[in-house]
Amino acid sequence: MYFAGVDIGSTMTKVVLIDKSSNLLSTIKGPTGPEHRQLANEVMRQALEQASLQIDDISYIVATGYGRLNVPFADRQITELSCHAKGVSSLFPNVQTAIDIGGQDAKCMKIANGRLINFVMNDKCAAGTGRFLEVTAATLGIRLEAMGDISLKATKKIQISSLCTIFAQQEVVALLSRGEKLENILAGLHDALASRIAALARRLGIEPDLVLTGGVAKNIGMVRAIKESLGCEILVPEEPLLTGALGAAILAKGIYMKAVVTGEALPTKARRLEKATFFSQEHR
Amino acid sequence: MSWFMGIDIGSVYSKGVVTKDFQLVASHIIISGANYRTSAEAIRTELIKKGNLTEDDIANTIATGSGADNVYFASQKANDIVCTARGINNVFLQTRTVIDIASQSTRVIRLNEEGIVTNFTVSEKCAAGGGRFIEVIANVLRIDLSDFGPLAAKSSSPITFSTGCAVFGESEAITRVSEGVPKEDIAAGVNKALASKISSLVKKLKLEEPCAVCGGGALNIALVKTIESELNTDLLVPPQPQLITALGAAIIATTSATPESSEN
Repeated sequence: MYFAGVDIGSTMTKVVLIDKSSNLLSTIKGPTGPEHRQLANEVMRQALEQASLQIDDISYIVATGYGRLNVPFADRQITELSCHAKGVSSLFPNVQTAIDIGGQDAKCMKIANGRLINFVMNDKCAAGTGRFLEVTAATLGIRLEAMGDISLKATKKIQISSLCTIFAQQEVVALLSRGEKLENILAGLHDALASRIAALARRLGIEPDLVLTGGVAKNIGMVRAIKESLGCEILVPEEPLLTGALGAAILAKGIYMKAVVTGEALPTKARRLEKATFFSQEHR
Repeated sequence: MSWFMGIDIGSVYSKGVVTKDFQLVASHIIISGANYRTSAEAIRTELIKKGNLTEDDIANTIATGSGADNVYFASQKANDIVCTARGINNVFLQTRTVIDIASQSTRVIRLNEEGIVTNFTVSEKCAAGGGRFIEVIANVLRIDLSDFGPLAAKSSSPITFSTGCAVFGESEAITRVSEGVPKEDIAAGVNKALASKISSLVKKLKLEEPCAVCGGGALNIALVKTIESELNTDLLVPPQPQLITALGAAIIATTSATPESSEN
């Protein structure tokens, strides 16, 4: 018995396969492109290959993320909030607050006994999401992955006064031309994002354990900045990108097991992966 | 010695005018660039050349705009709200409300019968509230800023942006382009989004007619039309609307250099 969670985010698509004891069999991440359906098929194929499984072996599949309706082989769609809460609490049983910062939104979740009880989110303004770092990294000509490390070398933090990503981009250029050091500017950028995340989290109330997930959690500079802004310890999973897909897989297992126990019929989609032909002729 | 100069150093464009007897003699616009000081110098040189003047002919120079400090040859700095008010008052004497759509922000100013500023409001520190949103989307659509208005005017079904953020709006525009949505509908959608933000800014101050619009955004005729229908009023658009604030600076340069008695 195997279960799958597919999380199509704005920036990355993630697949997690687990067995009936919730052991991880395979995890795959790929950048989300314009062709969600093709991509869902492709990442699923890769995940199955990694686990040496066939699509028929998967008992139940849950899709989540903003592209969750574009997973043709998923048996059910569940919101990313529920999936994140489930995924995070499976890794950190004592979690009470989870913050997920993605490329397109930031979510703060209150969790009790592994269930989501409340949340606040920002999907209105890029300046409060990972996009803020993506845009400024591009302006500074550095890799997104390198930003955090460089920011930790700062000798002082330059305050970024712009509240808008586009104006911050311009402010960064002005700071560079004034001869300010890259690491000091970066420290300021990280603090600017952290203070917005902290303001969002405070609206919900923060209780330990606090877990940070999403692509931004891979940035060591952001973990530092949020820790300072909130003044509390932060736990980060080994694979912070995968908690949504993991939660989806665990929920898939739960739904399936419940149906087995109650004897209810559980409809599933055809176990067939379409051949992924990216940017096929008909699309040109 | 009866010529006056107003220089408005903005975040994107720097504007300068020379006036004589409150009438425009010469104007010049350049991209502000990285060095505002040299931009200010370049404007002065060009204005003097265009007006067939010498440096000594300029009786007084006033600087305004976010980069006003860099105009080292100006006798004084003047607040840009006051300059915009003076400038519009010089063109449309009766104006009671003026909307100044700049790249960085949109400002709405209320004037009394004497043309004195009674109240004003500035858009939030967000690119989606000013002309920058148009610049960003023009870049996505690969069109010239000056073509934006005429293109948008062709649209019969403008798209609705699901976001209030210029960064997310950029992604949304890219998605619409890839879906094959006509460029004019995207451009018109941007105008619609911006017009609704600007209109709520105007409503915050309460609209009093006649209302004028200036700043680079006023060059976008389709945007002006969209704001007109949102506010249900006719807007006065001056010729060369982007020069109004610089013009106001030149007017202030005139009145502050001339004894009060000669002002009448």
